[in-house]
Amino acid sequence: MARYAMVIDLEACVGCGACAAACVLENEVPPGHNRLWIRQRELGEFPDLTVEYRPEQCLHCENPPCVPACPTGASYQSDDGLVLIKYERCIACGACIAACPYDARFMNPAGYVDKCTFCEHRVKNGQDPACVETCPTGCRVFGDLDDPESPVRVLLEEAERIDVLRPEMGTSPKLLYVNTPSKRGLAAAEEVEL
Amino acid sequence: MKLTRRKFVTLSAASVGAIALSGRADALKAPWTVPRKWYEDEVKTVYSYCENCFWKCGITVKVAGGKVRKIDGQKDNPKSRGRLCPRGQAGVAQLYDPDRLKRPLIRVEGSQRGEGKYREASWEEALDYIAERMLKIKDEYGPEAIAFFGHGSGDTWFVEYLPAAWGSPNAAKPAVSVCTAPRETASQWTFGRGVGGHEPIDWENTDYIVLIGHHIGEDTHNTQLQDFSAALKRGARLVVVDPRFSTAASKADRWLPIKPGTDTALLLAWINVLISEGLYQREYVEKYTTGFDELARHVAGKTPEWAAEITEIPADTIRAVAREMAAHAPRAVLPPSRHTVWYGNDTQRMRALYILNALLGNYGVPGGFYLAKSPYLEKYPHPPFPLEPAAGGCSGSSGGGEEVPEGYKPRADKGKFFAKTTAIQELIEPMISGEPYPIRGLLCYGTNLFHSIPNVPRTKEALKKLDLYVAIDVLPMEHVMWADVILPECTYLERYDDLVAIAHKTPFIELRQPAVEPLWDSKPGWWIMRELAVRLGLEKFVPWKNIEEYLDTRLQAIGSSLEEMKKKGTIVQRGRPYLKDWERWHMNPFKTPSGKIELYSETFAEHGYDPLPDYTPPMEPPAGFYRLLYGRTPVHSFAKTQNNWVLMELKPENEVWINRAEGEKLGLSQGEYVWLENDQGIREGPVKVRLTERIRRDCVYLVHGFGHKSRGTRIAYGRGASDNYLQTRYVLDKISGGAGLRNNFVKIVPGAGRPKLKRVAQLARERRL
Amino acid sequence: MTTFYGIPGAAPFWHWTTLVHFLLVALAGGFSFYTAVLGTKDVESGRRLAGWALLFIILDLFMLWAESPARFRFTHFWLFLSFRPAAAIWWGAWGLAVSALALLLVVLRLGPARTWFGILLVSSTIVLLYPGYALAANAARPLWDHLLLAFFPVTALLLSLALLVAWRGEEALRWLQAVSWISLLLALLYPVALASGGADQMRALALLLRRGLWFGAGTLLILLAALLARKQPALAAACAFAGALLVRSWIVEEGQHSFFAHGF
Repeated sequence: MARYAMVIDLEACVGCGACAAACVLENEVPPGHNRLWIRQRELGEFPDLTVEYRPEQCLHCENPPCVPACPTGASYQSDDGLVLIKYERCIACGACIAACPYDARFMNPAGYVDKCTFCEHRVKNGQDPACVETCPTGCRVFGDLDDPESPVRVLLEEAERIDVLRPEMGTSPKLLYVNTPSKRGLAAAEEVEL
Repeated sequence: MKLTRRKFVTLSAASVGAIALSGRADALKAPWTVPRKWYEDEVKTVYSYCENCFWKCGITVKVAGGKVRKIDGQKDNPKSRGRLCPRGQAGVAQLYDPDRLKRPLIRVEGSQRGEGKYREASWEEALDYIAERMLKIKDEYGPEAIAFFGHGSGDTWFVEYLPAAWGSPNAAKPAVSVCTAPRETASQWTFGRGVGGHEPIDWENTDYIVLIGHHIGEDTHNTQLQDFSAALKRGARLVVVDPRFSTAASKADRWLPIKPGTDTALLLAWINVLISEGLYQREYVEKYTTGFDELARHVAGKTPEWAAEITEIPADTIRAVAREMAAHAPRAVLPPSRHTVWYGNDTQRMRALYILNALLGNYGVPGGFYLAKSPYLEKYPHPPFPLEPAAGGCSGSSGGGEEVPEGYKPRADKGKFFAKTTAIQELIEPMISGEPYPIRGLLCYGTNLFHSIPNVPRTKEALKKLDLYVAIDVLPMEHVMWADVILPECTYLERYDDLVAIAHKTPFIELRQPAVEPLWDSKPGWWIMRELAVRLGLEKFVPWKNIEEYLDTRLQAIGSSLEEMKKKGTIVQRGRPYLKDWERWHMNPFKTPSGKIELYSETFAEHGYDPLPDYTPPMEPPAGFYRLLYGRTPVHSFAKTQNNWVLMELKPENEVWINRAEGEKLGLSQGEYVWLENDQGIREGPVKVRLTERIRRDCVYLVHGFGHKSRGTRIAYGRGASDNYLQTRYVLDKISGGAGLRNNFVKIVPGAGRPKLKRVAQLARERRL
Repeated sequence: MTTFYGIPGAAPFWHWTTLVHFLLVALAGGFSFYTAVLGTKDVESGRRLAGWALLFIILDLFMLWAESPARFRFTHFWLFLSFRPAAAIWWGAWGLAVSALALLLVVLRLGPARTWFGILLVSSTIVLLYPGYALAANAARPLWDHLLLAFFPVTALLLSLALLVAWRGEEALRWLQAVSWISLLLALLYPVALASGGADQMRALALLLRRGLWFGAGTLLILLAALLARKQPALAAACAFAGALLVRSWIVEEGQHSFFAHGF
């Protein structure tokens, strides 16, 4: 079975938000919540500056802390590496929201917990997630890590550096960032002036 | 403890019951099920083109359950190529915006313009009202006394078709004099060709890009962003010249934080280096240009050292970039950007830019500018209009001839500047002063008068003086609520519009067709125009009975049909992108008087303008003031999208960017709310402060399009500050008619306090259809 | 600086209703536990307390159902159709259900009461332990330190004892004093536990020091309860109740704070 992952090239990302807007429409995300958002950080001092535009969403971890926290099994990991939610089983207790280190989950007012699903409804039909399809800079790729010809493997191989969010959490995220604008990797809060 | 068990139980149960029911009311609708997703139902796809900016990407609209659910790009459309920017994606929210204009409105008798007192009317009454008054004005003053302002796809009906049939030369698009006029005029008189709406930059072959204030990545013209990113990915080098560290600057190999208003000096210094070091493309220049010797003499003293003092960019950097450019020529390009009306001397800046491109030998050559060809498309065969459409626009045409037919007046701004297209801001004066002749009426289509034309107090004064002011729009924006008659147009997703013809490497034609029926009593622009035309006695100019007939006739004439195009969305034709393609057919693309690229412009000289560009310094800010710069965010389009809840959730307000050290000197803290006051006493805000390292100390920056003041646009209302309201001063570019807007200066007035507004999410939840 | 288009899911996900649940579940667990302890010694005194314990369990279960956004889908039955030993709330559901059943059988005088009290001892222990586990299991929330595995059961007992003092008198008072001192010790250990952790825990400690007024106030009240237990039993009970409620509520409320949204 596949091992789906997403890779985002931060050198190319301009933080335009097309992915965020596409997600809202594709997935009927209710107002007040986001499955996907863009974080923009400026580093350095005039005139030696770096700006990082970083889209964030559920990382579909290989070792997701949200799945064991679910008391009904509504949160589960599929055979192809997606972390999904069976809405009909969700009791909306919020244990999974508490467990997520990445603020990826939220309480959908329709009465269940929701988050990015890597557009599983599209992926199963051979399409890319909505955010990947619409991205004007082409900085997002999606595919099977076990397939050496998939766009994710190609981008990872070409990359100058590969980073993930909060590696110390032991979650083994499957949303990987490549080519961060800063040589020090993903722009950290400490580096940024308030 | 006196509490009995029973009382306790009852009390607890009651309170817990209350909690249970305090959930959302609509959870009770079918609360035992998980709501279905739209894509689980049958999805119908409809091809069209987007209207959320003026790029006009081909889109695929997905309709399920009778409602538009999702908009995506069209795979084979050369603009979207299957991808869309955030505005395109969010178009669904505009369609279902409950604040939209729903029915024609007529201003209550006796009320003042701007008071906002309206009564609903039928279309018959509203259109009769307008026609009657237009004809009255025509009788008394002549047809030229009605001005037609407009922008967007429907401007073909209201700014080209109708005024030409009616006989008024005073038709204007802000896209000209508040945007592209300098670059189009300069291009016409340098290359004999305009730039056009789809900038003909050969991104896929270029190796070196220099952007002059061009903030790609914040300005999100879809294809351009795609191509720009692809070029960088391929390894193209990038230099960005901008007082602000824009998104483009963050991707650049070099950022030149230039002093605002001095770009021409930089360009001249680059020309100087290319010539003095012999780095220009000799063969190309000899074969395709004239005026080189005059140019060489002209730039002799304009060394990098000279420019360094003016621009505050080190001479070494200037020299190095010129050499790098030359080393990559002809695959080195300086794209012309879009909004070019900066300081009032902008045509000359654009001339310098084009001259530099010519010296790099890139015009008509891979890696530079390609030669865009218009698609083959026939007009609908109507009787000839009394007047040629004169408004021009970024899609090419630089306006009608200066021949004014018998019985008609020339445009009211004639003589104020050299170019042949109307300048929208120059048509305001005649409404007030009656000079050179009175303009008594205004038809305003889809143009936010208070957010696009500088000097808002003057615009308001003009509107008060008119005998008739009609607004055709989608949302109740401020300027709409000043009109005598408000006509609600339906959104682009609910209507047909004229075919769009894109001049391109691979020229193409796009169709717009409705995905759903118009909501409420809104109507398409073509229908409004036609109904009005019939009432104005212009029926013979609109011989087509409906839009389907109009479109089908045009398409049949090129061997297609409406039926066919509805299934395809886009028709792509072959282009002629490079000089060699033209030369093969013995054709000359340079329609200048000399037939060559004119480095030295005889025509300018003859009319008393500098034949070669010179640097003229802009006005300097008074002490304690900062130059107001403005630009875009990729999430919004101009002042159009601030009522769109999807986009406003992403970016609900603009902020004033000020250099951190400057801000700290003023005692400002990050995120506090301040007023901006310009040097003519106009105040805007409250607006949030963004202390940043990403801008020079002498200027501040605002994203354009916020600061809406109409309560009818309930999400947009009161958020951020309007740059246009602060732009009470403009400098007229005497060659192109462009209004230079960057000569406005502001000071920061602290203590505004955060405005008390509901969260966007809350407004969205309360009001969703 | 950091700016966003859209926002991370950083808003609090548990609200005042959850704080009430944490109170009710403490009383449910504590009363069930004492019922079990009493009942194994003397069935009748156990039986007298059982009614109250059952009441608190029913209130808590009703509360959990009523505050859930999924309430009208009645999906809570899935808790009993799944096997999720890694999930604290799964344990809690079973613990509460089994406790309720045991208590019901005792109250209705059906079957061997001693056996039911024995079962209740185990299931009520689960009810006491699971809320702390529900919090501490989240590595993503550094304020929910592993210390809570002890702190929450202890303060649950304290809350229950504070009410029991009205009912059981002298014996409960001794326990109230002892558990107050243990709670106080754990409350004081809390910042120490945070300080000995990694970068995340240091951020959490900074938040505690900056915004921990109510936690501090609660700790003081617990101290008062320990000191006044013998001399002013009613006041001591009130202080113990208020103090325990404050520190627990503060931890649950503030612990949701997302360090990811503002850090990393």
